[in-house]
Amino acid sequence: MPWNQSNGERDPWKADGQGPPDLFDFFRKLFSGGGGGFGKFGSLNIGLVAALVVAVWLFSGIYIISEGQRGVELRFGSYSMTTLPGPHWHIPWPVETVEEVDVDRIRSAQNQSHMLTQDENIVEVELAVQYRIKDASDYLFHVRLPDVAEDFRDQSVGTLFQVMESALREVVGKSRMDFILGEGRAEIAAMIKQLMQQVLDDYESGLEVVTVNLQQSQPPEAVQGAFADAIKAREDEIRFINEAETYSNGIIPQARGEAARMMQEATAYREKVIANSEGEAQRFLKLHEEYRKAPKVTRKRLYLQAMQSVLSNSNKVMVDVEGGNNIFYLPLDRLMKGGDGRSSSTPPSGASEGASSDGASSMRDNVSSQVRQAIRGARENRNAR
Amino acid sequence: MPAKILLAVVGLLAIVLYFSTYIVDEREKALLFRLGEIVESDIEPGLHFKYPLINNAEVFDARILTLNARPESFLTVEKKNVTVDFFAKWRIRDVSQYYRATRGDERNAQSRLSQIMKDGLRNEFGKRTIQQAVSGERSEIMNVLRGKANSLAEELGIEVVDVRVSRIDLPDDVSGAVYSRMRAERNRVARDFRARGMEEAERIRARADRERTEIVAGAYRDAEKIRGDGDAKSASTYAEAYNADPEFYAFLRSISAYESAFGGSDTLVLEPDSEFFNYFGQQGGN
Repeated sequence: MPWNQSNGERDPWKADGQGPPDLFDFFRKLFSGGGGGFGKFGSLNIGLVAALVVAVWLFSGIYIISEGQRGVELRFGSYSMTTLPGPHWHIPWPVETVEEVDVDRIRSAQNQSHMLTQDENIVEVELAVQYRIKDASDYLFHVRLPDVAEDFRDQSVGTLFQVMESALREVVGKSRMDFILGEGRAEIAAMIKQLMQQVLDDYESGLEVVTVNLQQSQPPEAVQGAFADAIKAREDEIRFINEAETYSNGIIPQARGEAARMMQEATAYREKVIANSEGEAQRFLKLHEEYRKAPKVTRKRLYLQAMQSVLSNSNKVMVDVEGGNNIFYLPLDRLMKGGDGRSSSTPPSGASEGASSDGASSMRDNVSSQVRQAIRGARENRNAR
Repeated sequence: MPAKILLAVVGLLAIVLYFSTYIVDEREKALLFRLGEIVESDIEPGLHFKYPLINNAEVFDARILTLNARPESFLTVEKKNVTVDFFAKWRIRDVSQYYRATRGDERNAQSRLSQIMKDGLRNEFGKRTIQQAVSGERSEIMNVLRGKANSLAEELGIEVVDVRVSRIDLPDDVSGAVYSRMRAERNRVARDFRARGMEEAERIRARADRERTEIVAGAYRDAEKIRGDGDAKSASTYAEAYNADPEFYAFLRSISAYESAFGGSDTLVLEPDSEFFNYFGQQGGN
């Protein structure tokens, strides 16, 4: 009802011919109308405007927190609450304000530098830290410059970076170089993480260290050659041992083979001599059996057979002289030489004997004739006596 | 014109309200002055009232602040010069004390604090070797400094939350010495590795040689034994057989020896009085 009435009241104002009403005019008229004796209607107008203003004001308190963020509400500067993602409303300015904080985003910081170890060596370490905000209100209120975003030029003014550097150096300073460069990398990273978190919690910084990576740990450039050589030396050690093993693996089986051959040869020898002895014994016994039946004849036959074989296979000189004749010269050296030449030039097989060395045999014949002459001479001497 | 009056009243009220209130942020601590005199301190965050013109409020940063001094050289007990970088974290504990001591100027507080820290560090490093400072007693130094700083910080109205030594670096000439020591150390390690390798290799080779010799010698022993067995067996076989008629054996063995002893190249000089020539010189064969 009051709306209609107020509308009804508007017509006369418009009739004033003051042009199209802007906001200022609107307010002025509103108040002047109120002052013009129509107190009831004027207060209604004020109420309307006030309601509108209040509505706009209240509306301005709506805000939306996106995923991964938190809203921190401050009432007259004093912390009141932290809101989760989603639409929210706060009592509008100047009573309450909201600050949005990226809590879930993983931020990172890196540091690379030389530092001293416990055993007073110098190592070069590159450290990367990932962190996030775990408590938005702590992050906002407790530390000035808790961290500096990566794209800023100087991260080192941020508390997180300072804590990182000091923790890194403290942990490295308590560790031995070999540990840092070798097996201790993961452990060192864990110690740094723990120390950083402890310090950051002491500051109530609202930061949480997610991961700490010891990306690189190496000796300084000035000594890298010596370090590389030491690593090579370790390889050399293994290589030397391997070479020796190779040698060992080469000769021991060979020796075993040799041993086996010796055993086999010995066994072969044993079997051979046993077999030979048995064979010869049997032969002897068989012959002896026959011999016993006709000893004299058999003996003679065997003897003559053997002598025949001996004499037919060798050169012979028959000296048919009785003793007492001393001047009988045998050119033994020439005989032997002839034998030597013969043996060196031909194989000692009886079959090729006569055909092979004419020179030698002619010489032998020569010698034989000399011998024969000598013998004849001797006979003549004897006969002459 | 009640509406205008109302407007004026509202405006005036707003102005009065503006001048008679002040807001202390969550990050801040405030002091309330009355004509220059501190009447209230350590005021909590929120909306507060004051008399306009008579009172005024000043706010100070209540967060943890950083004192990040320039790196400074200190002498250790072995008279080595080390460069030390450190930072301190502090915050205002007693605002009125802080205000009195520093006139609320943060730089003032920082420089006084920095002086305290450097004196403390100089003392602590002067008592220690590099090794102790770097590793063993680093946190001890920090604790001592924190305590020292806090006792002196009392009068500044501040609290030193933490003192941390970040870098302790050797000057360049000392670094060079460290590098050459590290090189020597590595060379020692390298030589050690190689020597150990050679030692082990020699050991393995020697063991292999010994084993080979043992294997061959053992085989020789066994082989000789086997040969001996063979010889013994054959000797007994011969003996058994030949014992049947030693004389005949001697005869047989002799003629076979003659056969094999004289070969084609031997020249025999014979007299015709051996048994072989029994019939050689006789006429008619009788």
